[in-house]
Amino acid sequence: MNDTEKPSKFSNLWKRFLEYREIGGIIGLIIISAIFAFLSSEFLSLPTFAAILTVTAELGVIAVGVAFLIISGEFDLSVGSIFAVASMGLALLLNAGYHPSSALLITLLISTSIGFINGLITLRAGIPSFITTLGMMMFWRGVLLAVTGGFTISYKGESVLINLLSQRFIGDFTTAAIWLIGVTLLFEIILSGTRYGNWVYATGGSSAVARAMGVNVNQVKLFNFMISGLLSGFAGCISFGRFRLVDPTLGMGMELEAITAAVIGGTLLTGGYGSIVGAFIGAFLVGMVRTGLILAGAPAYWYRAFIGIILVIAAIINIKIKKKVSG
Amino acid sequence: MKHENFHQPLVEMKSISKFFGHVQALKKVDFSVNHREVLGLLGDNGAGKSTLIKVLVGLYLPDEGEMHFEGKKVQFSSPQDARATGIETVYQDLALVPLMSISRNFFLGREPTRKIGPFTFLHKKAMDEACERILNEIGIGVRSPSENVEFLSGGERQAVSIGRAMHFGAKLLILDEPTAALSIKETNKVLDYVLQARERGLSVIYITHSIHHVYPVADRFTILDRGVKLGDFDKADITPEKIIEIISKTKA
Repeated sequence: MNDTEKPSKFSNLWKRFLEYREIGGIIGLIIISAIFAFLSSEFLSLPTFAAILTVTAELGVIAVGVAFLIISGEFDLSVGSIFAVASMGLALLLNAGYHPSSALLITLLISTSIGFINGLITLRAGIPSFITTLGMMMFWRGVLLAVTGGFTISYKGESVLINLLSQRFIGDFTTAAIWLIGVTLLFEIILSGTRYGNWVYATGGSSAVARAMGVNVNQVKLFNFMISGLLSGFAGCISFGRFRLVDPTLGMGMELEAITAAVIGGTLLTGGYGSIVGAFIGAFLVGMVRTGLILAGAPAYWYRAFIGIILVIAAIINIKIKKKVSG
Repeated sequence: MKHENFHQPLVEMKSISKFFGHVQALKKVDFSVNHREVLGLLGDNGAGKSTLIKVLVGLYLPDEGEMHFEGKKVQFSSPQDARATGIETVYQDLALVPLMSISRNFFLGREPTRKIGPFTFLHKKAMDEACERILNEIGIGVRSPSENVEFLSGGERQAVSIGRAMHFGAKLLILDEPTAALSIKETNKVLDYVLQARERGLSVIYITHSIHHVYPVADRFTILDRGVKLGDFDKADITPEKIIEIISKTKA
């Protein structure tokens, strides 16, 4: 009698373990870090960990917003352009003599407004957000190149506030890492622990059911477009704090990296399912590959090839696990 | 006073007409549901069953006629409006979000919260406990309220929807073809939930074109055909065969 009960208890535990949305990302993290630890003796160290967190910060903050929006059933391909617009905007405002706090505030306001416009066009015109934000991605990039004439803009001033965006903090850890972790926790709590989070899941899972149960689906989506814009802008500010220099091609391809991070972390592109901590793990994995390849002495060109493979494998693992749990 | 109320119907729709352009979908239909009654609303496809119910829950405005709920004249402007009054509709496909847990679905749009400092959070423990208790009461052994709805069978999904309607104080439950896609075993379970809903004092409108599903649980039948009411029949006065005869005769 006891014999029949034990394996079922174990398989139950195993099933519960597999039910974690982030499981694909976690498995990937373990495997990839084992490979890099084997290739480079410096890999498994605190300074490396701190370095990975720092290079992950911008992508991670964007990925959180992107995952949040995808879970509610919409896309944002303009995040890379918003990222660059914010970085450039902050540089121009500071060089024009604005106080750092008001420059920062205006920049975040602009980024949020771009997200608002994305949402408004998508919801009012009833076209897929994939198209709206693809158009906006090109539009803002073009504006950026036209305004700067393609030249890099730098900032020579000193400001405590700008330092706070990305500076060494304890040991090798930077404030950028704190922002990333803070943003991740904040949105994970909102998604899994508030009424609003429940509406986000429902909106992406089935907007017809959500509407029938009294959820204002369009308001949820519009708000999430604004969050995506705000976080992309904030990531742009973090990047500016780190480099004090903005190139108008900054952040090109970032939208696909952010979606990659979200998918590795277990978010379904079809909406209704996903995790913010997962998006963080996905972004961390991308940052880890970038750092690990450098430490292993591999040419930087291999980075994209590697990420591509990881993305596809992680997506397969996530789908297999979902099927296993449901079977 | 309360006793008096009990003798008038819970819902009374008088002389309801509805046009779509030149097509008259409902022709002066009188329709009523009594307290603690399971009413089988029957008719072939296109008989006007859905139109009548959509008028009742405020999705359509009637072109003619009036409605009373618990003796008071009402006109709902939306299903939310009807729900707030105590009329809950369980649609086949529009009831639950498959990718969400049972308890998250159960409380969707009406989530209990608790305050921690200035912040308001979902009261997940209360959600899970209430959900588990209610579902056990109506007799579905759901493994865990945190399980996703996608893993539930069609009958279990109906049960969750019906349990939710009962929990939120519905007085009238409208089931639209609740057993259309179910196995015989699951159909019997759902019929059991219908009886339990009546036990608890609810009235049920059971819409179907299959008399054999609804006959065992219904107290009364209303039959529609092409927008016209063919009649109301108490169960004691009519057999399933007779009902089939009435429905199919008009087709000829």
